[in-house]
Amino acid sequence: MPTAIGQELVALLPRLRRFALVLCRSPSLADDLVQGACERALANAGSFTPGTRFDAWAFRILRNHWIDHLRRTRTEGMTEDVTVQTHLVGDAGEGPILNRLLLAEVQQIIDAMPPEQREVLLLVCVENLAYREAAEVLGVPIGTVMSRLARARKRLIELTAAA
Amino acid sequence: MAQLHLTDEVLMAFADGELDDPVAATVEQAMADNPAIARRVTEFLRSRRLVRSAFPEEMGADVPPELLAGVQARIASLEQPMRAEAGPEVRAGFRLPVVRTRTFGMALAAGIACLLIGAAGYFVGRQIPSSAQLAGPIAQLSDPRIGRILSESRSGQEQDLPYGRIRVVSTFRLADRTLCREFRLQTASGGSNAVACRNGGWRITFAMEEATGAYVPSGGDDLMESYLQNAGAGQPLLDAAEIEALRDVEHHP
Repeated sequence: MPTAIGQELVALLPRLRRFALVLCRSPSLADDLVQGACERALANAGSFTPGTRFDAWAFRILRNHWIDHLRRTRTEGMTEDVTVQTHLVGDAGEGPILNRLLLAEVQQIIDAMPPEQREVLLLVCVENLAYREAAEVLGVPIGTVMSRLARARKRLIELTAAA
Repeated sequence: MAQLHLTDEVLMAFADGELDDPVAATVEQAMADNPAIARRVTEFLRSRRLVRSAFPEEMGADVPPELLAGVQARIASLEQPMRAEAGPEVRAGFRLPVVRTRTFGMALAAGIACLLIGAAGYFVGRQIPSSAQLAGPIAQLSDPRIGRILSESRSGQEQDLPYGRIRVVSTFRLADRTLCREFRLQTASGGSNAVACRNGGWRITFAMEEATGAYVPSGGDDLMESYLQNAGAGQPLLDAAEIEALRDVEHHP
């Protein structure tokens, strides 16, 4: 049974990496996180409920793995990895909605947001998780998802409106 | 019609298609009546597009070959024992390190050696090799100076030893209140991560050795993590709690 999810997991690797990058903002640490999360997912394949979203299940495992990592490194201080923060230069990708200038600005604004706002932005706006699904990934009530998400998007709206 | 307070959350939920029909209809009506409300909804739609553009698909697309190979190797390794044994399910847990040693043959060759030491001093059914037989940092773990440092140093502190440096990573208790410390020893021949618990003196209960320079696909952290999980490690003791725990050690050497 564990390997039944194997190929789905491999296909999900790019999106897991993107989520990991949003969480830890270090490419090398992100890869370690993804690998660790995949191993946990494979070892706990039985906990996946068929018929539910596989990506949401894997995101949740990845995020828990990250939380555990934070717990373990809290007393140890920052690891070398975290200090090597690479600024991610994105690409409009999805068509000519944005010019590069605005895109860079949006990235900067999101970058400056607290981690709990960044992760919920990604899960809902990019990964298209329903509020309820995002709440499950994050282990918070749906109301918390909504208030964090609304606050983050309001901020983005306000800061880009002047442009 | 019940009065609906059009908060940011409600308008955002409408923009995201998260509202039930009756509520959505109310918002639609409000949008038709009031351009300011329509505008707020439009802005939430726009913010979603902005966020999507800021996290393009390419952002994670560059999966390093090592990561892909690591995950695929793990999948393959799970397939084999399942076919052969058809019996006990492979669970995350104490079996994980054993499975890993098989799985990550490459990683091992690249320089991880892992010792899993049971309470009685046995390693997968065999006696721990004596220090003389082991090279590398694990051989140093029985040094009494390390015991002293474990009794005295707070987490995060580093100390010099004649053959390297030691850093205490964390302090925690097992479910039976046994005090344990995770630490890292760095010597010229490489590093090792280990856990020692109080049982009379300090006893090494887990140790993992890695060579420097080799690319190790995440393994180390996970082994340690699964060890800690299975050993029933509690939350790290911080600040005053840690000082108090170390004071106990001092009083009961």
